[in-house]
Amino acid sequence: MSRRSETFLNFIYQEEIFLSLSSILGFVLFWHILTDLLGIFPSLILPSPEKVFFTLYEKITVPVGEERLFGHVGISVVRILVGVGLALALAVPLGILMGWYEDLDSLASPLIEVLRPIPPIAWIPLAILWFGIGLGSKVFIIAIGAFFPALINTYIGVKFVDALLIKAAKTLGAKDKDILWEVVLPASVPLIVAGIRISIGVGMMCLVAAELVAASSGLGYLIMLGGDDLKPELSLMGMILIGILGLIADRVILAVERKVIYWKKE
Amino acid sequence: MNGKPAKEKIVAEHVSVEFEKDTKSFLAVDDVSLTIQEGEFVVIVGPSGCGKTTFMNTIAGLVRPVKGTVSMDGEEITGPSAERGVVFQQFALFPWKTVYENIEFGLKYRGIAREQRQEIVRKYVQMVKLDGFENSYPHELSGGMKQRVAIARVYANRPQVLLMDEPFGALDAQTRTIMQEDLSEMFVSEKRTVVFITHSVEEAIYLGDRVMIMTARPGKIKKTISISEENLVPNRRQMGFDDVIATKEFLSLKAEIWSLIKAEILAKHIY
Repeated sequence: MSRRSETFLNFIYQEEIFLSLSSILGFVLFWHILTDLLGIFPSLILPSPEKVFFTLYEKITVPVGEERLFGHVGISVVRILVGVGLALALAVPLGILMGWYEDLDSLASPLIEVLRPIPPIAWIPLAILWFGIGLGSKVFIIAIGAFFPALINTYIGVKFVDALLIKAAKTLGAKDKDILWEVVLPASVPLIVAGIRISIGVGMMCLVAAELVAASSGLGYLIMLGGDDLKPELSLMGMILIGILGLIADRVILAVERKVIYWKKE
Repeated sequence: MNGKPAKEKIVAEHVSVEFEKDTKSFLAVDDVSLTIQEGEFVVIVGPSGCGKTTFMNTIAGLVRPVKGTVSMDGEEITGPSAERGVVFQQFALFPWKTVYENIEFGLKYRGIAREQRQEIVRKYVQMVKLDGFENSYPHELSGGMKQRVAIARVYANRPQVLLMDEPFGALDAQTRTIMQEDLSEMFVSEKRTVVFITHSVEEAIYLGDRVMIMTARPGKIKKTISISEENLVPNRRQMGFDDVIATKEFLSLKAEIWSLIKAEILAKHIY
């Protein structure tokens, strides 16, 4: 590649980064103008970005409740990993079986259609009653929320595999079991991964909801505490951290997606 | 064919097939009877939607007739089998498998050992001129190359009967001509029974030992025309497509077949 086109590519690259960053920087600047600079909002209503970032810096060493900042982040991450992991371990195999065996589909679908519309947070009172306010109740709420998107996507992926591929496999001599493993499952991978991605997103929402209501640790707890103690900067800090966590989770799953769906056209 | 005593390979007797669409059922194939000899290349032509594909699917075992029977070697066909390989118009390659793995697919279920599979795959990769593309994925190939893989996949599986459903329909004209010539060559070297569906009258005459013209839906056999040295040129399977279609004999066959199809299209207003 010539030097000229190389610098040109570099330029484009930097331009893109500049654009991506500028929306965030612009937002922070706007926020700064509204608070610190013009004082339209008093600090108790909307603290300045500097105050939020200082809080974040401070909480790395100064504990809130029983944990320091990364303790809270870690607890939330563990809850989400266990909750979503449990949901996927149940939802993906069940979705495969329901998509493949019509009898099981007829048997389970009505029950799932009734349970699915119940918002996961409606389970919070029962979750606390059954599992207390420790890890168990959070994992339960997250698992309920993450279960259905993964289940439905897997089910649809398996059920609606391109009929032509199945015909091709049959006329090449493949039996039902071979078709499930060699055709149906690989063909459903894109939808299953998409389902997992949605499940993680829903799981994060459920995490915060569960931690808002009944927790003494985690990011949701920090957000709630900010309101209770009239420290909105603490709430904002928690919200920003959840945003960052979500972004990281999404990037990870996208990278996984690119790895396992290498055979799809761009 | 080929000097051997003729043996009935596929026999369809009074086959009717219904087709369901939006909860209504249509008669797609109406009382079709047909005997295909071993080693014969039979081409089915007819207007769009005349039930050609549906009829072929009954031979494949993918569709069951509502009346009549289809049998191979005297045994009724009740489901798909590796003995009747299908090449689909839309290729139907497994997109997550490489060219090699696609061609190898059926061989695994025939209980063929790995080394032998390797040998067979290599042979057919060469036959369809895809050397060097063994590790490519279907999305990296052109339409013509994809269809070559699909043809190699079916040939490698050594079915007794090859069913080809407009295999070149999705290809551009130049690629199509080359594929037709290659298929003609493979037909001579591999000696399999072939049933081939096409819209192209030229393709039908160039490839077929017998051309079966179907009526518009519900599909019946309107006429069957044998193509041989007597009414076309000798050695056409060694000749190029362009040379064959330029002959006087070819043109008169083409005119005859086309007028039969055109009459169907005009009579039933399906253009």
